[in-house]
Amino acid sequence: MPMEDNEAVYEKLGETEKRFGLLRDRFRLSVIAISEAEAKKQGLEIAESVVACISDLAFKFTAEVLANDVGLFAQHAGRKSINMEDVILSAHRNEHLLGLLRSFSHDLKGKEPKIGKMRKRPL
Amino acid sequence: MENTFDSDLIYSIFKLAWSRKAAEKSEETELNETEVGRTSKKNWPTTANSNAQKVSSELLRIFVTEAVQRAAIITEAEGNHKIEATHLERILPQLLLDF
Repeated sequence: MPMEDNEAVYEKLGETEKRFGLLRDRFRLSVIAISEAEAKKQGLEIAESVVACISDLAFKFTAEVLANDVGLFAQHAGRKSINMEDVILSAHRNEHLLGLLRSFSHDLKGKEPKIGKMRKRPL
Repeated sequence: MENTFDSDLIYSIFKLAWSRKAAEKSEETELNETEVGRTSKKNWPTTANSNAQKVSSELLRIFVTEAVQRAAIITEAEGNHKIEATHLERILPQLLLDF
């Protein structure tokens, strides 16, 4: 395999890592907001190092576990696009979590404008 | 309004992760010269609908709040007023098993 091809691949991987870095920074900002609000609810302070750790963990989880799992479920179903069920299924390890996501998804569906669907008239 | 993740941000992370996976896979198949050129009927997903993005954001919001809430329990049990790394450490194994 020519050296140029190898370099192109490594350059692309380097570019990807840079992009991940930018996303990781944006992600951390949200984690800081969510964590601090939650700690405040508990009437506690939270160490910066703890927030940083949660952020790194959650980001890794998103990019490695979640992205992979939802992709796998959609692929298994023969789809090229992820839907809500794929995401809900990824939470199968914890019944409680599964239930929370399912009700969240029902709320989302409920908010959708029912264009073209006949409303059932109450008897 | 409750703090949560921007759906676009989460979607961007998915897409980047998928493209990295696709790049790694194509590098693999190039190196494996003995691999028969099969057309894979089942292709890897490339998009997510907006509801899926929202549910993903919610899942991650729950991940973060669970981590903080569970660590907070340890903090309070110790009579502390600040959540520290040792508190997070205690709850990490079960957190990872639950997600």
